[in-house]
Amino acid sequence: MTTSLVDVRTIDKSFDLRGGGTYLALKGIDLEITKGEFISLIGHSGCGKSTLLNMIAGLDLPTEGVVLLDGEAVKRPGPDKMVVFQNYSLLPWLTVRENIGLAVDEVMGDLPREERNAIVQEHIEMVGLGPAEAKLPQQLSGGMRQRVAIARALAIRPKLLLLDEPFGALDALTRGNLQEKLMQICNEHELTAVMVTHDVDEAVLLSDRIVMLTNGPGSGIGGILEVDIPRPRQRLEVVHHPSYYSLRSEIIYFLNRQKRVKQWRARPHQTVARHGLEKVNLDLGFLPLAASAPLAVAEAHGLFAKHGLDEVQLIREPTWRGIVDGLVDGTLDASLMPAGMPTWMTAGGHGGAPLPIVSALTLSRNGNGITLGRRLAEQGVHTVEDYRAYLKSHEREPHTMGIVHEASMHNLLLRYWLAANGIDPDKDVHLQALPPAQMLADLKDGSIDGYCVGAPWLDRAIRDGHGIAMAGDLAIWPGHPGKVLGVREDWAMAYPNTHIALTKALLEACQYCADPAHWAELSELLSDRRYLGIKPELIRFSEGSPDVDRAGPESEAAVPHHLFFGEGLNRPSRTEHLWMMTQMARWGEIPLPRNWVEILERVCQVGVFSTAARELGLEAVSYQRQGIDLFDGLPFNADDPIGYLNAQVIKRDFSVAEIPLAPPSRR
Amino acid sequence: MVPTSPRRPGATPSPLGWLTRSSGSWLPPLLGIGGFLLLWQILSITKMIALPAPTSLFTEERTRNLILYPFYDRGGLDKGLFWQTMASLGRVAQGYTLAALVGIAVGITIGLKPTINRAFDPLFQFLRMVAPLAWVPIALVLFQKNQPAAIFVIFITAIWPILINTAEGVRQIPQDYRNVALVLQMSNRRFFTKVLIPSALPYIFTGLRISIGLAWLAIIAAEIVMPGTLGIGFFIWDAYQQNYVGEIVLGVIWIGAIGLVLDRLMAWLQTRISPGQ
Repeated sequence: MTTSLVDVRTIDKSFDLRGGGTYLALKGIDLEITKGEFISLIGHSGCGKSTLLNMIAGLDLPTEGVVLLDGEAVKRPGPDKMVVFQNYSLLPWLTVRENIGLAVDEVMGDLPREERNAIVQEHIEMVGLGPAEAKLPQQLSGGMRQRVAIARALAIRPKLLLLDEPFGALDALTRGNLQEKLMQICNEHELTAVMVTHDVDEAVLLSDRIVMLTNGPGSGIGGILEVDIPRPRQRLEVVHHPSYYSLRSEIIYFLNRQKRVKQWRARPHQTVARHGLEKVNLDLGFLPLAASAPLAVAEAHGLFAKHGLDEVQLIREPTWRGIVDGLVDGTLDASLMPAGMPTWMTAGGHGGAPLPIVSALTLSRNGNGITLGRRLAEQGVHTVEDYRAYLKSHEREPHTMGIVHEASMHNLLLRYWLAANGIDPDKDVHLQALPPAQMLADLKDGSIDGYCVGAPWLDRAIRDGHGIAMAGDLAIWPGHPGKVLGVREDWAMAYPNTHIALTKALLEACQYCADPAHWAELSELLSDRRYLGIKPELIRFSEGSPDVDRAGPESEAAVPHHLFFGEGLNRPSRTEHLWMMTQMARWGEIPLPRNWVEILERVCQVGVFSTAARELGLEAVSYQRQGIDLFDGLPFNADDPIGYLNAQVIKRDFSVAEIPLAPPSRR
Repeated sequence: MVPTSPRRPGATPSPLGWLTRSSGSWLPPLLGIGGFLLLWQILSITKMIALPAPTSLFTEERTRNLILYPFYDRGGLDKGLFWQTMASLGRVAQGYTLAALVGIAVGITIGLKPTINRAFDPLFQFLRMVAPLAWVPIALVLFQKNQPAAIFVIFITAIWPILINTAEGVRQIPQDYRNVALVLQMSNRRFFTKVLIPSALPYIFTGLRISIGLAWLAIIAAEIVMPGTLGIGFFIWDAYQQNYVGEIVLGVIWIGAIGLVLDRLMAWLQTRISPGQ
C-alpha cells in the first residue's frame, strides 16, 4: 500500500536530434509525490524541468521508465492531471466564462447544464473575475488571464494540478497576489500540485518540497529540499522564518554550482602540457578574502607564468562549499582553502566518500577575530565573561554566531575559545556557517550575536559601528594557520611537477605579500572587482586596525597581522593538522582517525614544499615550526591526540574510527 | 459610461466645421485623383495619347447612355452595364464558392496531415504558378462549353490562396491550444469546431480575400477569349473589336470599381467574423 499519488519511476527521456543522434534530456528521475503535496521543480533553463512536467501530464512519454498516477501508468494527457500552461493557453475567441465553460462541458458533460453553470460561476468567483466574465482574454491583463487559466484548471477538479512557470510572465506585484491566491486555493482544496519555476522565492513560499534538477544533458535530481515552514503561509511572514534564508541560499548555491559546472563544461578541457610541466592550464579556486592576496599577486605579477603555468585562471566562489564541490567534481584543479579542510575532506567530513586532499603550502596565518554585535555591546557585553553571563540571563532566546565553514580555523578557534571560557559552542550558542560577505548584514539586523571571520570582513562591522571586537586571534593562538593550498591527492600524483611549480609561484607571492612596503599596493590590487570588490582602505594587513581611527595612524606601525611568509610559516605542519583534526573530532565533525599518522603523512606534502623552497633558494623558510601555543597554555602532545581530547572539559562524544583510504593513486 | 470628449470652445458643430476639421483625411486622395484626371485630360486634348479624355465619357453619346442607363436590355448581348456585370459576378460567385469549399477542405486536410502535404505540395506550388489565361484553352478543351469553362478558370485561379492559407492556418494552431484539447480529451469533432476552425479562421479569411481579387481578375481574362458570352470582359473585348475606345475605358473603370467593392466587402466580413485577430 503506497500513499503516493504520483510515482515517477526511473525515467529517462531522450529526443532525436535533427542531424541524427539523440539528446538525453533526463536521466534516472525518481520522484514520489504524496497526496496534498506541493512540489516545485527548479533548475536552469534547458534542464528538462518542463519536459518532466509534460511527462507527468502525459503530453510526452518517457523513453525509459514509467510515471504512475494512482498506481496507473500515465499514457496520455487527461483532465485528471490538468496543466496550467506558461502562456495561459486560453482560447482567444472565447470569453472568460466560455473558456472555463468549455473545459467543464468537455469533462463533466454528463452533469445537467445548471450544475455545470454553477461550477463555472463558482470558479469565476473564486479567482475574483466576476466583473470580467464576459470579456475576451485579450481584454485582460496577464495576471487576470492566468487567473482564468487557474480557474479553468480547478473547475474540472483534477487529481493533480500541473503548473508550468505559471507566474513567469507577470509583474512582481501581480505575481505575489496570485501566489497567495494559489496557496490559499491549494490549502482549501487539499490539492496536489507540481510547479515548474525558476523563481527561488516562489519555490520556497509555495512548496512542501523543492526538487532541484541538475543541468543537462542527462539531467537528474540534484537534491530535494523539504520546506518546513508551517502553513498557512503569508508572503511577508515567511521571510522571517529561520529556515527561509537557509533554504533560499541552498537553492541559490545549487543553481550557481550548476552554472559553474556548465561554464566549465563549455570550455575545452584537454590537459595542456608545456615547459616540462604536466599541466599548465589550471582552475584555481579562492574566496574574496584578504588572505587571497598571494593568489592575486601571483596572477597580477605573472608569477604563475614565470614558473611555467601559462594558463592559470582564478575562480571566485562565494562560499567554501563551492570549493569543496569544485574539488569533488574536478572542476577545480587547486584551491585556497581553510587550514582544516584538507584533513576534513580526507576524513570524509564533507559527507561523501573520504577524498584525500593534500597541502604543500600554508598560505597565510592570523588575520581572524571574533566580533560581537553592537546590540550586545549596548547591553554591556564587552568581554567573554560578560557574554557568558549574558547567555545565562537570556537563555530562552536563540543565540547564533556566524562562522564561515566547519573546517575553517574560525570555527575551531571560536569553539576552542568559547569552550575554554565555559561556553558550550553547541548548547549555549548555535554556530552557523554563512558566506563571509553576508555576515555583516546578519550582524546589522541582529539575527546573529557575532561572528568569527577573516579580514576584511572582520573589522568592517567595527568600522561601520555595527559591532565591537571581542577577541583577536592573536589573543587565542598567535600565528595559527589560516589558509592553505589544497589539491586532490590524485591530482598531485598525476601532475607532480605542476604541483611543485604552483607551490613555487605561490610561495614567491607569499614572500611578496609579507613585505609591509607592498601592503598599500595589495589593498589596491585586492579591491579590484575580480577579487574582493570593496574599497581598498577596507583591506588591511596590519595589526590593530579596529582601533586605528582612535589611535591615529602612527599606531598602525608595521605590526603584521596577516603572516604570509617567514621561517617555519609556510611549511605544512603535521602537528597543526593533527591539532585541527582533534578539534574537528572534538565537535563531532569527523571521527578521530585511528590512522591519523597515515593521513597526516599523506596530507602534508612536505617534500613538495621543500623542493619548491629549495628551487627558489628559500631554504630558510623550510624549517619546521615548533609546537602549538594557545592562550590557555594547555599543552598539545602530538603523540597522544586521544589523551588530549579526553582532557577537554567541554566536548561532544567523539568517536575514533579507521578512515578507509585507497592507496595513493593517479586519477 | 461612455466617455464624452469635452467640446472645444469655439468649435462649431455644423457639417461645414466637420468638413474643415477632417480635411486631412479626404483632401489628399481628392487632390491625387483630381490631379490624375487632369493630367489625363490634358494629355488627351493635346493628342499626346490616343485615349479619349475623361470628360468625353459624358460628352460622347454611346458612353453617356451606358452610364445613364445601366439597366437597359435589348436582348442578346446588347445589355446595360449592370446586366453585364451581374453575368460576370454570377460566374465568379459559382467558381469562387467552389474554390472556397474545395480549398478550405483540402487546406485543412493537408494542414493536419504532413504526409499528404508533402505528397501534394509540389503539385500545388506548380499549378499555383500557372497564369489564369493559360488555363482558358485547357478549360475549353475540358468542358467544350463557355460557361463551365469560365467557372473552371475562376475556380482554378482562386483556389490556391485559400488552400495554402488554410493549410498554414491549421499548421499554425498554437501547440498550447492543441495541448488544451489533449488535456481535456476533446473529441475530434469538438476539436474541429471549438479549436481548429476558430483558430485558423483569420488565415482562411486572408486566403478568401486574396482569392476574391484573383477571381475577379480571372473572369475578365476568361470572358475576353470566350466570344459570345454576356459579361463585362467580353463587353470590353467587343468594344475593342469595334473600336469604341470610350467604352473600353468605361468598362475598365467599372471593373476596377467592382473589384474594389468586392475586396472591401471581404475585409468587412473578416472583421465581423473574427473580431480583433
